Amino acid sequence: MKLSKGAQDRKRTFMLITIPVLALFFCFNTLPLIKGFMYSFTNFKGYGSYEWVGLRNYIDLFSDARVGKSYWFTFKYALVSTIITNVISLVLALGLNSKIKCKSALRGIYFIPNVLGGLVIGYIFSFIFTYVLPVIGQTLGIGALSSSMLSSTGKAWIAIVIVGCWQAIAMNTIIYISGLQTVPEDVYEAGAIDGVSGWKQFKELTFPLIIPFFSINMVLCMKNFLMVFDQIMALTKGGPSQSTESISYLIYNNGMSGGQFGFQSANAFVFFVVIVIISVVQTTITNRKEEQL
Amino acid sequence: MHKTNKAARTVNWPITILLIIGCVTIFFPLYMAVIIAFKQPSEMTNDIAGALALPASWSLSNFAEAMRVTDFWHSLGNSLLLTVTTVVLSIVIHGLGGYAIGRSMKGSKFYNFAYLYIVSGMFVPFAILMMPLVKQTAQMGIANRVGVILCYTVFFMPLNLMLYRGYLTNIPLALEEAARVDGATTWKTYWSIVFPIMKPMHATVAVLTAMSTWNDVMTPLVIMSGTGQNTLPLAQLNFQTQFGTNYNLAFASYLLALIPILLFYIVCQKQILNGVVNGAVK
Amino acid sequence: MEEKFNATHDDIELKIDSPNDAMTILKTRFIREDYPEIIGIGGDINYSNFLDSDMLMDISDYQGLSEIKESYLRTDKELEFIPYDGVYAVPYMANAAGVLYNKDIFDEHGWTIPTTLDEFYKLCDDIQTAGIQPLYFGFKDTWTCLAPWNAICVDLAPSDICSQVNAGTAKFADAYRPVAEVTKSLLRYAQADPYAYSYNDACTAFARGESAMYVIGSYAVPQIKSVNPDINIDSFVFPASNNADENLLNSGNDLQWSVMAGMEDKKDAIYEVLDFLYEDENIQTYLDDQSAVPCKKGDFELPSMLDGMKEYIENDKMADYQDHHYPSEMAVDAMIQTFLMDDSENALDTFLEKFDTEWIRYNRDLITKVQKFYEEHPEKLTEGGEE
Repeated sequence: MKLSKGAQDRKRTFMLITIPVLALFFCFNTLPLIKGFMYSFTNFKGYGSYEWVGLRNYIDLFSDARVGKSYWFTFKYALVSTIITNVISLVLALGLNSKIKCKSALRGIYFIPNVLGGLVIGYIFSFIFTYVLPVIGQTLGIGALSSSMLSSTGKAWIAIVIVGCWQAIAMNTIIYISGLQTVPEDVYEAGAIDGVSGWKQFKELTFPLIIPFFSINMVLCMKNFLMVFDQIMALTKGGPSQSTESISYLIYNNGMSGGQFGFQSANAFVFFVVIVIISVVQTTITNRKEEQL
Repeated sequence: MHKTNKAARTVNWPITILLIIGCVTIFFPLYMAVIIAFKQPSEMTNDIAGALALPASWSLSNFAEAMRVTDFWHSLGNSLLLTVTTVVLSIVIHGLGGYAIGRSMKGSKFYNFAYLYIVSGMFVPFAILMMPLVKQTAQMGIANRVGVILCYTVFFMPLNLMLYRGYLTNIPLALEEAARVDGATTWKTYWSIVFPIMKPMHATVAVLTAMSTWNDVMTPLVIMSGTGQNTLPLAQLNFQTQFGTNYNLAFASYLLALIPILLFYIVCQKQILNGVVNGAVK
Repeated sequence: MEEKFNATHDDIELKIDSPNDAMTILKTRFIREDYPEIIGIGGDINYSNFLDSDMLMDISDYQGLSEIKESYLRTDKELEFIPYDGVYAVPYMANAAGVLYNKDIFDEHGWTIPTTLDEFYKLCDDIQTAGIQPLYFGFKDTWTCLAPWNAICVDLAPSDICSQVNAGTAKFADAYRPVAEVTKSLLRYAQADPYAYSYNDACTAFARGESAMYVIGSYAVPQIKSVNPDINIDSFVFPASNNADENLLNSGNDLQWSVMAGMEDKKDAIYEVLDFLYEDENIQTYLDDQSAVPCKKGDFELPSMLDGMKEYIENDKMADYQDHHYPSEMAVDAMIQTFLMDDSENALDTFLEKFDTEWIRYNRDLITKVQKFYEEHPEKLTEGGEE
């Protein structure tokens, strides 16, 4: 079939745009990744001389209890945080997008957590968990709160979930808000005529239209939470008793600051493959939903 | 268009009030940050009453000292330069890329692959890229601000591409086709029609990209250390050493650094609002 | 310093970089192959690794070495994975760790400085009876677990235990048993739930007189004084042994100079810079600024809170921090924290056993290398043992 002149131009232009974009991406992402992948077969410390050790790093990886523990922690953390963040930020976005007073101010305020740096978060939330919450817990007689969450191997991860969500909600809300902007007003108007409102309006009219944004947020959340690092550094540095060491924390701490660059490159590579698989599965599922609607 | 729907016009007070109450979760930590920024180190205590008490005096000396230590205007200039350039490049490159790839994905294996290839780059842990990138930028002679900007442009590409593509799925092809019938080239159509339609998404991309760039420490630390150029987060490292942290100065400095990005957000979110509803898709 | 040097030395241009997060930046410069001439680093495992990677130059012909205190040079020798010929670092400044105490509280109650472990326990009991918190820990920051650990190690464990283990002639389980026991015994005198509080919290608490003593290094003094500038702090050596003569001061090189390999051409200029740095006047400037211990022999004015350690410093009765031998990725600090939190009966055995197995796991390549070296040079092993 012969393409029309316009369609040909379209095809050519798209190709001319795509090729340089791909080249740039290859140069600063794939190329270093390949180099990093090669280091995963060495005992490189990050400097100086090194030797090839074959698959030893990968074999070690699967027998290392600390790495295993970090996977368990990271996935538990990511799953819980993703759900909490998406629910709250969707509700928040709907709220901030409705007819309210002081819209700009409120949107500005809810955006702040995302801009505060690690040191502020670390200091303030450590203070809240160490000094404020125990006092509240003791006053109200709640046993679970009466000692610092951060010093308990069973509860420290919850503290990190709280802070992680607190920060992430801002960004997800922005994405949901911009998603809600693509929903034309007349959809609601048409719905209102049919007498659809409240939860039903959301479920049947709004949500289907913002599914692309929902899937972006799900993937983004999963990705950000699986790579959790800042909150760990700020709050627990992996403690207490190594109960909150995330995968990224291990990769950075032992690979960059420590001398395990080769081994942690292997860890990073396996981790990369794992997340890609997860997000492909996730996207396929949401895409299927998208098509159904 | 005249809105006849009564519910759409009146202020929804219950939601407004709930949202204002919700602000407490943000104001409480923020309040602590502000009072710490005004206190002197000798006012720091380990008990709640002391920590929540107002500073002895509202002196701006911490802010002045923080500005001196971080060489504020110079670092601010660098941070602005990096952030603004990255944002502009992101909007141009990622917008074009998102459009080209997003519009060609239906039925094209190549573009589907290209999309997945770039998006999967989102999941590469930075730690594995860091050392090779340090070496690569040095070899290419861009171990400076240029290198940092290029790295950012690539780091944020997956997310932004996803965002643009997601946004375009809700934009019908009709307008572009009309332009094509009128004889406009694809390139022209993009700039005159598609680019303006994507304005809310540009604003979103700008906010997200700016925020990540503004706060980032690692990339400039490893790539442009030794060039004598500091960004604000790099300069803020001055406040913490292993054996002691001056929280008062650090917090003052953080609050100062917070202001530009907050203003930027407030400007951008107006753009996010003025989007599709007002025009394009009707 | 930079200006002062350049003003007096026309032919050499000195450029001093002292960046934040210096180790990361140094490593990135190595990756870029942009080597500085002189590096100032701590005497820790990084030094061992740099040396092991043949990155440093032998500077045994530097004149100034004779001016340096023996124990600090010995410390550097012990950091070598396998014995090297030559000298690769000149110690500059050291810090000391032990027990900081609140002099005013001590004077008020007439408490005296303990010299044996039993006296130390007795002192803690007395303080507790007086209704004062004896010790305050910031174990939320795991690295602070190493402060008491190191201070106790110098008294109770051989200083070259790590090299011995690498050579296959000793086990940590034996050497560290008493160390671990004494470390855990301190918890009796600590505040409730010490894992909830950070280093910073502990400094603030000590500065505000909430505890009489604080087991930490001299490096904490500036942070403490920032909270309470008027606090009267002095220090003493941790008496982990009941034989007072066995107790040593825990002191290690905080800053030492090494010359990168391949700089032979610039040697004269480099030595001139070192000479300049070691001028008494410049050392004193540093001391006044940083409250450290100079590694150069001579009569320097020490910071007053080191008074209680002075005798040990002057008589060279010191030993290095054991953690300078631990690879950071092994996270010994976190292992100690886990051990301290573990209330079960066999906590000690679990910990010691884990220490040995983890050590082997994280130092595998090194151990192979060391043992191969001693197989080839059995004479060096006995030599090391005699020293």
